[in-house]
Amino acid sequence: MPSPDPDLHNPLRRSFVKGLLGTTSFWMLGGHALWSQALAAEAARTYSPTFLTADEYRFLDAACERILPDDHNGPGAHKLGVAEFIDRQLQTPYGHGDNWYMSGPFVEGPANLGYQLPFVPRDLYRKGITAADAYSKQQHGKLFADLPTDAQDAILTALEGGSVKLGEIPGRVFFEQLRTNTLEGAFADPIYGGNRGMGGWLMVGFPGARADFMDWVNQDGAAYPIGPVSISGETA
Amino acid sequence: MRRLLSYVPVLAALTLGSTPAFAQTDRDALIKEGRYVAAASDCVACHTAPGRPAYSGGIAFTLPIGTIYSTNITPDPNHGIGKYSETDFARAIRQGIRPDGSTLYPAMPFPSYARLTDHDIHALYAYFHDAVKAEPLAAPENKVSWPLSMRFPLTLWRWAFAPAPSAARNTTLHQFSDPTLTRGAYLVEGPGHCGACHSPRGISMQEKGLTAADGSSFLSGGAAIDGWVPPSLRQENRTGLGRWNEDDIVLFLKTGRNRQGESFGGMSDAIKHGTQHLSEGDLHAMAKYLLVLKPADTKQADWVYNTQTASSLHKADFSERGAKIYIDNCAACHRTDGKGYAAVFPPLAGNPVLMGKDPASLVHIIQSGATLPGMEAAPSAITMPDFRNRLTDQQVADVVTFIRHAWGNNAPAISQEDVAALKKTMPERNLSNEAVPLN
Amino acid sequence: MKHADAIVIGAGWAGSILAKELTEAGLSVIMLERGPERSTAIEGAYPDSVDELRGAIRKRLFQNLSQSTLTIRNTIDQTALPYRQLAAFLPGEGVGGAGLHWSGCHFRVSPDDLRLRSAVIEKYGEKFIPEGMNLQDYGVSYAELEPFFDKAEKVFGTSGVAYTINGKVTGNGNVFAADRSSDFPLPPMQDTFSAQTFRNACSEAGYHPYAMPAANASRPYTNTYGCQMGPCNFCGYCSGYDCYLYSKASPNVNILPALRQDPNFTLIANAHVLRVDLDSTKTKATGVTYLETLTKKEVSLSADLVILSAFQFHNVHLMLLSKIGTPYDPVSNTGTIGRNFVYQTISSSRVWLPPSKYTNQFIGAGGAGVAIDDFNCTNFDHGPLGFIGGSPVWVNQAGMKPIAAAGGAGGGGAPRWGSAYKTDLVETYKHSLGIDAHGSNMAYRDVYLDLDPTWKDAYGQPLLRMTFTWKDNDIRMNQYVVSKIAPIAKAMGATKTHLVHLNQGQPFDTRHYQTTHLGGGAVMGEDPKTSALNRYLQSWDVSNVFVIGSNAFPQGMGYNPTGAVAALAYWAAHHIRTTYLKSPGPLVKL
Repeated sequence: MPSPDPDLHNPLRRSFVKGLLGTTSFWMLGGHALWSQALAAEAARTYSPTFLTADEYRFLDAACERILPDDHNGPGAHKLGVAEFIDRQLQTPYGHGDNWYMSGPFVEGPANLGYQLPFVPRDLYRKGITAADAYSKQQHGKLFADLPTDAQDAILTALEGGSVKLGEIPGRVFFEQLRTNTLEGAFADPIYGGNRGMGGWLMVGFPGARADFMDWVNQDGAAYPIGPVSISGETA
Repeated sequence: MRRLLSYVPVLAALTLGSTPAFAQTDRDALIKEGRYVAAASDCVACHTAPGRPAYSGGIAFTLPIGTIYSTNITPDPNHGIGKYSETDFARAIRQGIRPDGSTLYPAMPFPSYARLTDHDIHALYAYFHDAVKAEPLAAPENKVSWPLSMRFPLTLWRWAFAPAPSAARNTTLHQFSDPTLTRGAYLVEGPGHCGACHSPRGISMQEKGLTAADGSSFLSGGAAIDGWVPPSLRQENRTGLGRWNEDDIVLFLKTGRNRQGESFGGMSDAIKHGTQHLSEGDLHAMAKYLLVLKPADTKQADWVYNTQTASSLHKADFSERGAKIYIDNCAACHRTDGKGYAAVFPPLAGNPVLMGKDPASLVHIIQSGATLPGMEAAPSAITMPDFRNRLTDQQVADVVTFIRHAWGNNAPAISQEDVAALKKTMPERNLSNEAVPLN
Repeated sequence: MKHADAIVIGAGWAGSILAKELTEAGLSVIMLERGPERSTAIEGAYPDSVDELRGAIRKRLFQNLSQSTLTIRNTIDQTALPYRQLAAFLPGEGVGGAGLHWSGCHFRVSPDDLRLRSAVIEKYGEKFIPEGMNLQDYGVSYAELEPFFDKAEKVFGTSGVAYTINGKVTGNGNVFAADRSSDFPLPPMQDTFSAQTFRNACSEAGYHPYAMPAANASRPYTNTYGCQMGPCNFCGYCSGYDCYLYSKASPNVNILPALRQDPNFTLIANAHVLRVDLDSTKTKATGVTYLETLTKKEVSLSADLVILSAFQFHNVHLMLLSKIGTPYDPVSNTGTIGRNFVYQTISSSRVWLPPSKYTNQFIGAGGAGVAIDDFNCTNFDHGPLGFIGGSPVWVNQAGMKPIAAAGGAGGGGAPRWGSAYKTDLVETYKHSLGIDAHGSNMAYRDVYLDLDPTWKDAYGQPLLRMTFTWKDNDIRMNQYVVSKIAPIAKAMGATKTHLVHLNQGQPFDTRHYQTTHLGGGAVMGEDPKTSALNRYLQSWDVSNVFVIGSNAFPQGMGYNPTGAVAALAYWAAHHIRTTYLKSPGPLVKL
């Protein structure tokens, strides 16, 4: 049952969900007996993107999965909820470039002097995805998400290499934005919607928000023995 | 009197030494003494509400009978005590009787203040009269429903339980032959009114014992106040001060922190506004006095540190109930060995506030967190975050059970239902009432 | 107009030290901080603070560039462009400044670093100094600064081990370190596995490894001011974070709790200083004008003494905006404000150990590690090498977290995404460690700071312009020191080593983090033609202005700068208290 409460679309926080446990409306709406079930229900629900359109979100989900594919090392971007993470981030001050100097004039210069475009992350995604899908259609006759993975990889390789321009945005700039946010989504605390089940942390052996190694400073090369914990208290 | 004055020689010497205007100097010295007695009596804690001027009252006391507010004790003639003569003032403080003859609510610890010497009352009066700024501010109306709002039952209560001042003073000042113990007894039983929180109360809310001479109930631990349990200040090994030495007590009263633990709840206020301002000599006198109070509970086995907990945690063996929650939430500061980091993050191993019958303090601090404010001699504020949104009642019960059992603590387990019930007794933490610790 | 005896601009280490010293001297002090108040108990509380995304990635403790930034170019003939996104360096903002987000590497200085020009000339002659290099002495000696290094360490609660105290060998500290008057207040931090492996390999190779001095407390500590620190548990959330354990020294933990108790002290946050106000002669400051950033109200304060203790380039920016002294002109090589802007040459190489060995890179502390100084400063013979400067080399496992690790994995020919990249990332995260060459950077005639002609900040003032690139001397120094890492890595049992160094012709790249150790621009010295400040960090031009910070360094040294900044702050404060306040005026008469 879709929740009429718009707050439920806010970042999946166990603490947030738990905060609801004391409210009557939660019980009326959800009918869950236990918070863990409530959580599971929330996590299992298909995320509906808020900033990105359905088509943009399909592109994002597919592209992120190529950057971090599901394989023998561990889950890929799709399973980790990376697209969800990015859509949520684009609704935060970061998405609006709140900490970027965005005063003109905007002048092109050598790459090593850094980013000089008049676009904040939301613009980069909106314009970049539209142009990348247009490029995909022009090259392969299909939207990016509908292509076989080797064709998707070829497009991403072209973007990374800088040979394609996506309208006003150099392909390389778009690719780097995408790669950066994908890795953030895979390895940030799950409270931001990505790194589902702490799959990213389990893969690399990062213990998360326990932040105490007093007894394990030097184990003569042995691996740290305890699994990860989220800021929310979720463990894996 | 003469002897009392000898306890404030520094204050007297400072002011008497150099100024030629002798009368004024006498008055100044008296006011200084009065300020000192006010600190020893911790008047601020109850009579200064957040956001209101000093001593203008307004702190709410939520009691079973309703809500009462502390009064304005500035020298304002209409809202404060400006019209009180020294005799009125003495009667209100020592006997809980207003100039109009009605009785104060016993939230005002007049059974303790009954012990104040004439000189200290005189100094206190000088201070409140001449050195405190008059604030024309009314305290909020008490909200006590009839018939409990009638003050005459209080008079009966007072008749039954409040000691006559001269007798009270006599008891307190003549229990010990050692003058240091006598001074300690005076400070603890009188202005310090430690028993108001740390003594159990009888069926009519009277303190069971007001002096060391009254038997072992005195200062043997009080009932929870706002969800914080005042522990025993007697010599029980596990739940009292049996393993604290004199310096531990002095440091605690001066800074709110020592190698054994840190203050929380109302005690932090009592230290901030009160005991930290006392002289070293007075703090040592209080400590010496507390150390002679024999255990109320004589059957406690000595606490012995058990190394098993730490070695299990170190091996990532979390089979004990609550162990994993402890390692994920608590060990970063309190350590796997439960010893914490002296005077910064308090030890949980062997800490007397954790091993008592009532686990409310432990549940409360996990629920609400706590800030130990900076003191003059220890300017750092130390904060424990709250875990209310991170742990369920079941998890709190598990981790409290773990902490109460681990490292040789061996105190009884608690259940999820216990946690739920205790949480209902704990007021919401209102951060706007607290100074944000800025370090 | 409100008056204070002294106004201190910037609530970082330098400002907090000066404010503490001046209130102790009985002055009324107002400290202005452009950023917000910071409370470890609120925003730094466990476990919310141990959040890589919010901390090091979204950079919550760093300067908000949308309000003010600078422009950067490599050479004088280029158009400088705005530094729009935080990347190459990360100035702090808010109470505590960089002292809140730093790592905690707390070095003294090598005595020769303070007199590098003299030392080089003594050993190799003046001709050894390349054309265009503005090599200078500080004008103060290590012996003069030693009591202030000592004082600062006891405030910071620094962990370390001495080599010599009062001339006697006392421990296995840095054999190249200058003599000390007393030991570190706390014993050294434990070696991580990575650091211990490096230590063993260095010893075998005949080098002289030592425990890095760390302002991360190895034990609970109560400092000179009664402020308390908890001990570091190697959680690794140091650089970019406020330490939830109160174990990393910061102004917030180590000075401000005591300072705030002083009724003579006032701290005003969210106060962006627009200029230091000067009288008509331009030789005396009358106060400062600042903008309340929350209300946009302009406020002027008057003061007898003005301390500039903002971040290095903000100090220079304020001097230029306030017209204190003469702006540097690289063409005529005249003027001093903006002259000798310097950086550091830092490159991090990577070493992979066998799969059976886990480096647990997330375990660490910002200031802890093992270093060798065999290639730092003047500790080796530069004669045949033909360059000036050097680098300590160290394993400073400071708590590598996975977003940063993932961002840095791949590249240099290896895939940066896809399945092969993932495999590489997992292996690199679990089994590798970093070895840094943390080197000096010399000053050059055409590397400097001035005001940008085009771009403005949110308050309508011109941005600062940085003209900087890597020069031959420093590139060759970096390459030489990095070449020494390969055999050490081999001795550590490396299965693979990726050496990273600067390359000839490679311009400074603003897109990748290098270091926030910027220096110079308003340097101290003994000649007002080549320094903005005298040896007491007092402006030559406006004698009631003191400028405290790494802006005073005539060249970038191999060590992290905070230790030197703190000692110089106490040194300047000492001379203000003992001499200046008794008779205000220039402390150095020419």
